[in-house]
Amino acid sequence: MADRCILRRYISVIGCDQSVVRSDLSHHRRVHCLSEIIAQHNMKTFLTLTSFSPIQKLFSLSQESGRNAAKYFINTYPKYFQKDYAQPHIPCLMPETLEAQIEEASEAALIERIRMRKVKAAVDLYDQLLQAGTSVSLDVTNQLLDLICFCGDHDPTQENVPEQRNEETVGWSHHKTMFKIGRLFLFFPFRENNNAGRIFALLSEPNTHSYSALIRGMVKYGAYSKAFSTYTDLLNNRLKADVHTFNALIIAAPEVKEKYNEKWELIVDLLKQMAEQKVKPNLLTLNAVLKALRRCGTLGKSQAFPVISEMKALSIDPSLASYNHLLAIFYKTGAPIQGQTDILQEVMNEVSGKSFTAQDPDDGICISLQRVHELLGVGENWRLLGNDFQQSIYYARFFSLLCMMENIDVMLKWYRDLVPSVYYPSSNVMRDLLQALDTDNRLDLIPQIWKDIKQLGHANRQNLVEELLTLMAREKHNQEVQESFAECALDIKKIYDTGDRGKVLLSWTAGSLIDLISVLLAAHRRQDAWEMLKLFKTHNRVPSEELLNKFLTCVKEAGEVNQAVELVQISAGFCLPETPKLIQRVQQEFELTEQQR
Amino acid sequence: MATSLVRQTKLLSIVSSQLNPAACFRNIHCTAACLKNRAARIREGKGDKSVTYEQAYHPHHIGHRKGWLSQHTSNLQGEDGAAERVVEDVFIRRFMYGTFHGCLADEVVIKRRGNLLVICAVMIQKLLPSKFYFLIGYTEELLSHFYKCPVKIEMQTVEEKVVYKYL
Repeated sequence: MADRCILRRYISVIGCDQSVVRSDLSHHRRVHCLSEIIAQHNMKTFLTLTSFSPIQKLFSLSQESGRNAAKYFINTYPKYFQKDYAQPHIPCLMPETLEAQIEEASEAALIERIRMRKVKAAVDLYDQLLQAGTSVSLDVTNQLLDLICFCGDHDPTQENVPEQRNEETVGWSHHKTMFKIGRLFLFFPFRENNNAGRIFALLSEPNTHSYSALIRGMVKYGAYSKAFSTYTDLLNNRLKADVHTFNALIIAAPEVKEKYNEKWELIVDLLKQMAEQKVKPNLLTLNAVLKALRRCGTLGKSQAFPVISEMKALSIDPSLASYNHLLAIFYKTGAPIQGQTDILQEVMNEVSGKSFTAQDPDDGICISLQRVHELLGVGENWRLLGNDFQQSIYYARFFSLLCMMENIDVMLKWYRDLVPSVYYPSSNVMRDLLQALDTDNRLDLIPQIWKDIKQLGHANRQNLVEELLTLMAREKHNQEVQESFAECALDIKKIYDTGDRGKVLLSWTAGSLIDLISVLLAAHRRQDAWEMLKLFKTHNRVPSEELLNKFLTCVKEAGEVNQAVELVQISAGFCLPETPKLIQRVQQEFELTEQQR
Repeated sequence: MATSLVRQTKLLSIVSSQLNPAACFRNIHCTAACLKNRAARIREGKGDKSVTYEQAYHPHHIGHRKGWLSQHTSNLQGEDGAAERVVEDVFIRRFMYGTFHGCLADEVVIKRRGNLLVICAVMIQKLLPSKFYFLIGYTEELLSHFYKCPVKIEMQTVEEKVVYKYL
């Protein structure tokens, strides 16, 4: 009883109104069912994004991926999870059924398959229905056409299956704009004798919706000239096209004509027809026109602004995608668009906006510093950054830009803000950061950066660590800095020796050993440096002469004669050409006993 | 094969009862011998075998020096479902042993509160923490869907298996 009261209070905190109890105390008490687990998970992911530290975020992400793995198993082998122990049935704990329920050939079955996005099954059922003689209503046929044209004649669920040939499609979803063209041609051959055209031909009275679905499908999958011929069919049948059709045709326009002015004339023609048919253009129209203008070269630049002002007159606010297109049209001349950043905060087009944001930094690279400031403004709009992958691309480019262009204080400010809470920088970015520090002579920040590197797991990258060591060893700094460097160096040494759980991940090179020892010497840590020297022998690396000289000076300051002699013996052991000079130095500077001589 | 054995046993018992009506019924014992005075006891050996606290104390110490590994209310007066709980427990223990293979430092403790199933485990730090979290998420989700009740894992890690004594 007590635990049910606690359960109710807990649920009221989450915000749900009914509780689930299938107690093993008794079967008699029944309460309404609620998917408490799912509510908990959503709460957790929300908290993660807002308040957890980065390590906790990493852990909760791994837990989430474990859950996804379990879900995959549950949905792939549902027969083991069918047995229902729960007294009030808990639907969220059953495996997801993706099979169609209604078996017999009827319109309702067709609608169901369309809803579940099973393209092949839907088309087969449609054919079955037609053969059986039952007529399918125009609405349902239109929905079927929509589905086919959107999904391009194959089942969309196939994209989720991790097959080998689908790796490009996975990459596609991340780099939509880059790979889309390649993918379109992948499906181009299918358009010729595919189901969409066939079903369309079977329609006795196609209406606007059917034409529009067909034209949009054609444009999406690259059959541009066919799209235009279908459009002329539509006009011949004296039907009106709707705004979506026109958008699709405008997108298709640059593909069918060669020269810039022909393209532009075609677009103007389409827009005029749109006005005649009294179809109101919308935001997508604006974006389509701007996108087409990108392909029009110089003509695009002159036409872009009038287009925007006309659209504004029709009270269509330009969205993020429109600005991106504008920038793409104009960026070569280096004239940034003024006054964007405030408007950027407003209207956002969900469909095309996000996939174009990743292109933005690309354009930014060639341009002046002011553009970078605008990028910074965009950087504050975290909602724009679609999924994590795009985010990481964005931040990588952002950081490299910052390293190149800004001075070190601004760089550090952004670094503190973003790392490691929002973004885990890659090792290249860390290297850029180190170089930036180098150019600005802020090498005293290196120990902090090293801590970050360790935390992010880059400590096993050979070149990064070596570069760090070289930077530390290069010049002489003041005392505290040297101390902190020495701490850092000892830390690095530990990494080299034990690695991760006993596995040695890094191998010593001569350069890194030398750098390490020089850092330790500069901080007057003679004992540690002495131990490090022994490592030369064990790892078969040869010390350099300056190192030995430095060591000798250090030893002389401390006045340890034995060590000096040992040093000479070591260099003799390595057969260094410096050995006679060292012997001379030792003889001059120290007072040796007979034996040592 | 089991059914034929049962039939044979019944036949034998009928035959033996008919042969000797006044005698007590002694039936055939067909399972492997599981002596109750050898269950869950590790016998003393040379002194090189390390045992944990749980393994060192024998079953008659439960309630005195040991706790219970499985806590539920179906053994109370008037409650049912004890057998089902036992079968579930066995499955859960095997599942944990297999999923976190080589990582379990001690026996898994299973607690039931309401319809919540809490699995408490002590693990050796054999895997990275993120890998542990992955396996925890996987186990929780899979077992919840399997048993149709919320499952939570409470995990604690130690560096080495905690040795109580050497037998």
